[in-house]
Amino acid sequence: MNVWGEQLMNALVIGSFYSLIALGYSMVYGIIQLLNFAHGDVYMVGAFVGYGVLSAMSGAPLFVGLGAAFLFASLATGLLGLGVERIAYRPLLQSSRLVMLITAIGVSLVLENGVMLALGPSFRVMPVELPRSGLSLFGADVTYAQLAIIATSVGLMLLLDAFVRRTLYGKAMRAIAVNPTATALMGIPVHRVIALTFFIGSFLAGSAGVLAGVYYGKINFMMGFIVGLKAFTASVLGGIGSLPGAMLGGYLLGFLETFGAAALGGEWKDVFAFVILILILTLKPTGLLGRTGTERV
Amino acid sequence: MKRRSADFSSVHPAPRRLRPGRRTITGLALLAFVLLGSGFLSACGGKTASTDGPPSGQTAGEATGGSSGGEILIGVQSPTTGSEAKMGQDINQAIELAVEELNAKGGVLGKTIKLTFADDACDPQTATAAANKLVSQGVVAVVGGYCSGATLPATGVYHQAGIPMVVTAANSEKIPAQGYPEIFLVNGTTKHQAKRAAEYMVKEQGAKRIALVHDNSAFARDLAEATKQEVEALGGEVIAFEAVNSDENDFTPVISKLKSLKPDATYWTAYYSAGGLFIKQFKTAKVPGIIGVGDGANDKMLVAIAGKENAEGTFITMSPSAEFIPEAKAFIERYYAKYGEEPGPYSALSYDGMRLLADAIERAGSTEPAAIVRALRETKDFPVFGGTITFNPDGTIQKSNFIVVVVKNGEFALP
Repeated sequence: MNVWGEQLMNALVIGSFYSLIALGYSMVYGIIQLLNFAHGDVYMVGAFVGYGVLSAMSGAPLFVGLGAAFLFASLATGLLGLGVERIAYRPLLQSSRLVMLITAIGVSLVLENGVMLALGPSFRVMPVELPRSGLSLFGADVTYAQLAIIATSVGLMLLLDAFVRRTLYGKAMRAIAVNPTATALMGIPVHRVIALTFFIGSFLAGSAGVLAGVYYGKINFMMGFIVGLKAFTASVLGGIGSLPGAMLGGYLLGFLETFGAAALGGEWKDVFAFVILILILTLKPTGLLGRTGTERV
Repeated sequence: MKRRSADFSSVHPAPRRLRPGRRTITGLALLAFVLLGSGFLSACGGKTASTDGPPSGQTAGEATGGSSGGEILIGVQSPTTGSEAKMGQDINQAIELAVEELNAKGGVLGKTIKLTFADDACDPQTATAAANKLVSQGVVAVVGGYCSGATLPATGVYHQAGIPMVVTAANSEKIPAQGYPEIFLVNGTTKHQAKRAAEYMVKEQGAKRIALVHDNSAFARDLAEATKQEVEALGGEVIAFEAVNSDENDFTPVISKLKSLKPDATYWTAYYSAGGLFIKQFKTAKVPGIIGVGDGANDKMLVAIAGKENAEGTFITMSPSAEFIPEAKAFIERYYAKYGEEPGPYSALSYDGMRLLADAIERAGSTEPAAIVRALRETKDFPVFGGTITFNPDGTIQKSNFIVVVVKNGEFALP
């Protein structure tokens, strides 16, 4: 049996969730310098929408249900991101960063407590169960669910990378990150591009929410809090504002946590994440791949 | 159990924001207890002794208010409002049933037993007031007590007044640790549970290599540590003593580590919601050996979260609830006939607690509280559901009353 191979898979799964969420943090920060602390709760909403879809489609075959839940929840959370941007952040774009930050915390509280009021504080159990089957890779037992999560996450990240690098909207996003005023003067609809950024970021968080919800099977209204903080750590680790940095940071954090917990004990998992956050903020505030002052997205 | 023990022992990581109900209540109760409990308690105790005058303590020796007129007045303390109201109702109904049966057989010492109920709302402050109320009504003894956090300060009041209490459900180690000679616990404590768990794993299942996992809450860690001692005393080896963060959903690093250690049995001592996930990931990772959980995870949600297939075969250590005790069948039928519902998880213990108290009064030959305390202390092999009761000097039971049940087809059942 290959215990390190299994730990590697554990790390890749956790890292995939962190990366997907960290991307949203980084994109939003890159474009409007907002630390969107409500992002973890968008992930939570994604899990709940997925739960709703799966419950409604309980008769359908497993993969049809999962596919529908994934698509529907990602789109719904993308739209939620649009709404949040329109209601909470757009009116404040000209105000100080602190005002936006506090608003983000407010949005986070509204989402958490809104879900709690609507659906109750107790745990919900996803109505589907993933098959336990899998294969043996170099002596490590790997389930198909783990492989599917990693593949889906990497696929989404590659799509995002292509979008930002190769499309006109991607170019506009990068332009706003460099200089929003000049971009607006060039006739680019800045608000629309910012809204699009929120949509994409929330879409990714929502998809992570569905994947994690189905993978772990248990969801509740606070599930986004810790994960949000970890993803924030991941994006800082990689260099907030940098997309490759967010992906790298997410996986790196997954590795550090998993191997740290394996070596020292499970209770040290969070300690690793937050010690890293402190170290990076103190020693290299721009993160591993971040640059100061220049292009961000 | 989880709540009673957790009420003041499970200092979870500082609550970040609003948590799910059960924990919030636990946290609030804890906070209230820490902030107010001790000060309030001593103030009340003083008041009872000096200004009000404890009716029964003062009149010890003469016929007290509690035993005059051919009646014996016994107090029942339980939560009948608040989040634990159902538990309190179960307890009260079981005690009422016991009294009805005792009175039908001619009562105790030729007198009939009369009950007076006080609601502790599972809250330390309300419990202190409830205890003072019972004392001032002149009860000769008290039976009940569900939440440890509420029972703990109340026992102080009874101790001050010299009135015995038979605690029928609450089981925190902190209650006997106070050293009050009037307080007797008919439910087993953490030590009893650890002993039963170790016996099941090492003796009955032949497991040699044991892994213990807790979540760093005081209750779960205490149970894990006590289990470690018991396992080693039985000749087993604890190959892993791990903690996880119960806020997390991903326990795979610890589970992969367990897998490489190849335990014969793994015992989870924390709560059901994280426990369900732990079992799920444990089975998905194909860790060898059996897995079991402590009574903090004694909740049907455990099976739902773990998934029916994964939960199959999981063992659970728990206090004896009537549905798992074969001799309790007649009791369940009588209870159902009277109340139209099944007994609750602590009904059988409460029924036994009341019967034990009546037996002690009979043996004491007097309704004087001090004599009842002496008789309770001398209890020897009193037959209860699933065993017999003899007390240790600290008021805890000598033999563990914990039972082991196993998940069969998604339901808890006797192995």
